[in-house]
Amino acid sequence: MKSPDAIVIGAGIVGASCALSLTNAGLNVLVIDRGSVSSGTTGAGEGNILVSDKDPGPELTLALRSRDLWFEMQEDVGDYFELEAKGGVVVARHDDSALMKLASDQREHGVDAQVVGASDLHNLEPYLHPEFHSGVFYPQDAQCQPMLAAAHVIRTVISRGGNFISQAKVTEVLVKDSQVYGVETSKGKFLAPIVVNATGTWAGEIARMAGSDLPIAPRRGFILVTEPAPQYIFHKVYDSDYVVNVASSDADLQTSTVVEGTRSGTILIGASRERVGFDGSKNVEILRKLAAQATSLFPILRDVQLLRAYHGFRPYAPDHLPVVGEDAQVKGLWHSAGHEGAGIGLAPGSAALITDEILGRPSFMDASAFSPARFAMVKV
Amino acid sequence: MIIVVGAGPAGLAAAKSAASKGCQVTVIDSQPRGGGQYWRHLTAVSGYKSNRSAAYLKELQQNKLITHITGAQVWSAEKLGDGYQLNYLQAGVEKKISAQKIILTTGAYDRTLPFPGWTTSGVMTPGGAQSLLKGHGVVAGKAIVVSGTGPFLLPVATALAKSGAYVEIIEAQSPLRWALSPLALLLNPGKFPELMHYASAIVRLKIKVSFGSAVTEYHSGVAQVSKVRSDLSIRKKNIRNISADVVATGWGFLPDVTLGGILGCAQTLDRHETVVFEVDKEQRASAQNIWIAGEATGIGGADLALAEGAIAGLSATGSRIPAGLRWKRLTKRLFAKALQRSYPVGGGWQEWLRDETVICRCEEVSYQEIIESVQELGAEDARTSKLFTRAGMGLCQGRVCSRNVSDVVSGTTKCAVSRSERLAASNRPIAAPISLGVLGDGIAG
Amino acid sequence: MSNEISFHFNGAKFTGAAGQSVAAALIANGERELRRTRFGEEPRSIFCGIGICFDCVVTINGVANQRACLIEISNDMKVESSL
Repeated sequence: MKSPDAIVIGAGIVGASCALSLTNAGLNVLVIDRGSVSSGTTGAGEGNILVSDKDPGPELTLALRSRDLWFEMQEDVGDYFELEAKGGVVVARHDDSALMKLASDQREHGVDAQVVGASDLHNLEPYLHPEFHSGVFYPQDAQCQPMLAAAHVIRTVISRGGNFISQAKVTEVLVKDSQVYGVETSKGKFLAPIVVNATGTWAGEIARMAGSDLPIAPRRGFILVTEPAPQYIFHKVYDSDYVVNVASSDADLQTSTVVEGTRSGTILIGASRERVGFDGSKNVEILRKLAAQATSLFPILRDVQLLRAYHGFRPYAPDHLPVVGEDAQVKGLWHSAGHEGAGIGLAPGSAALITDEILGRPSFMDASAFSPARFAMVKV
Repeated sequence: MIIVVGAGPAGLAAAKSAASKGCQVTVIDSQPRGGGQYWRHLTAVSGYKSNRSAAYLKELQQNKLITHITGAQVWSAEKLGDGYQLNYLQAGVEKKISAQKIILTTGAYDRTLPFPGWTTSGVMTPGGAQSLLKGHGVVAGKAIVVSGTGPFLLPVATALAKSGAYVEIIEAQSPLRWALSPLALLLNPGKFPELMHYASAIVRLKIKVSFGSAVTEYHSGVAQVSKVRSDLSIRKKNIRNISADVVATGWGFLPDVTLGGILGCAQTLDRHETVVFEVDKEQRASAQNIWIAGEATGIGGADLALAEGAIAGLSATGSRIPAGLRWKRLTKRLFAKALQRSYPVGGGWQEWLRDETVICRCEEVSYQEIIESVQELGAEDARTSKLFTRAGMGLCQGRVCSRNVSDVVSGTTKCAVSRSERLAASNRPIAAPISLGVLGDGIAG
Repeated sequence: MSNEISFHFNGAKFTGAAGQSVAAALIANGERELRRTRFGEEPRSIFCGIGICFDCVVTINGVANQRACLIEISNDMKVESSL
């Protein structure tokens, strides 16, 4: 194996997208992971590619571009990962003014956010509880099977001359004179002038190994999975509390529901958020709240049985924005991490930003809001 | 009050011994009647010494200190203060029960191996055939091949033959393997009359027995038998065909470790790499105030379960464990080890498969799909393969296939299945399905 | 058998003994195929017989995915093959 131009640490969807984008830009890329492909947060994801839950701002700009890049990636890699523009429906339980204001702001920034009245809403979702009489339909919201996506993207990288080494745990990030030159791993030393840290929840650890710092913490999220059921749910449906919760930094548990069907017939109920460490313990009360909220949206789900529940740890930064860009202290060390619950959706967009910056070419947006340097400045 | 989960031999022994010390006991079980899978509903058809259960069942019904909750499916468990709460479903209604101390005797179920045709109707587990017969008075078929490995094939085959079915036994291992465990045989002289009981029944009922063979394919009412080595790889393919409307096939047992797993009890692997609970000499699990007895601590049969259950019941009431009981457990454990040595289940069964053979019955994932998830997509362990293929994600939550999926992945990567992968496969946060309506209605406050 | 129970399976009327499971009563009546699978539409019957494998799931009185090996038959019960 010849020495790569760039090493990407992390074979989740964020790392895989980065590797593909860099490969397509002409670089020879080596991807390494301490486990196998999709073995971190990607493997616990629902595959959300959402624009509906973003307030106007840099993250929405990134989300809109990234969403289109998903479909470009599908053309590039092949139709192997169940990518589908299924659309999102956001409903307001009582007062819909906040939702309508959000939708109008989003529309001004290029989001297709269609206000729907009672009859259209129930045409979109015939099994929705009759008490909901208004909502917003987001046809751009999409979904994929993220584990398959990461696997096929990495396969494509390999077919274009790149390499993937699994079970290689990084033990040292090699830095000399504030310039990265490789990594030491449990499977040997690999040298490259560019190292991309796409390790999600563990990104802080990698940054520390390089003598830098990245304030990324895990936030636990549950997903409930039901038995296979007839198609009761046609879009990604959530109540507008979800949008409020995403931007919250309250350490207490908050739950708001996202309900959706899958191709396999199971129904996914997700989106509880609580800021805890890497404690994997389950809490029956969280399951109950999610179930109650899902059945209040769709009463027909009362007779559908819960089969399993799992959790993943979403990586998040204090300001809830992703961290995408070159390290503030170490040259050649790039981060693409801290995407919280939006890592699947934002992965190809973040990859494009990093590739553009590395190549020094103009990009689709000003990425300074995502710069890792923003935390360094706070510290000073 | 002590909660005993499970009303099989271990649970009944635990309840009896705890109650004998004056302690209130609640036995909670998923079946409509006590006895568990082994002493399932005594009817006209009984196995060797099954009258032994009568005393325990009488205790369950008549001892005023023992309450028996039937038809209860525990779906989750939580630590609550210094005790535990079990959430269970009974006739579709969720109920809760809590206690400071819990004895888990959750038993085991048949281990199965895939082969071409194993999803067609007519193929079932020996436990399934036994439950149809003993629990419901239904003989599974007219011509039945009882195949696989282990002594449980004997009571199933003889009971089916007694009920009028034509029965053949196809045992994969050689009886000579018992010569590997002379001490266990010497210390368990009581096993000889039991063996003689079944041997004479086999002769009397004209049951044909073959050793060193296995049913490696079944279709259109024909079971194909191959000669197999002790690791189950094929020595000679399709040596003969047997016309049968039922193939009852089982490869020992897998303990049901779900509930103890939810409660955080430490697990380990036995010599078959089967997940079992770690317990100390008084059957205490690693989690405080939980005892575990019977098959869940390692497959060993009813005699061992009775000894372990009695010890757990005594320990949970803070009573002394008589030396005789400890000795009994020791000899039965030796016998259990000998059973494992005599009836190994090697990985050679993968030779029986065709590309299209289903491995995960629930999600209909084929052998080839699992191989491709490794070779094409880079899965290196069962977890990743499952994420790609959905194997193990269906209604049974991998209870049937997860072990086999791990073995197929490992057979493809040529890397042994890791200890952590084996242990992780048994991790199921929801012990039984619960409807979302019932679940949500249970919100506290 | 005393205590005969009558129930319906896919519209047809069957009888079984009180205390019998849905699966046992159907097998006693020669009805092996309890359902077809979702993807391959393959016939399935009872497999583990003790509630572990979920191969025998049927719709009982409108509730889907009920294990036929665990649930006892009752008079006028409506059993249907699931998807």
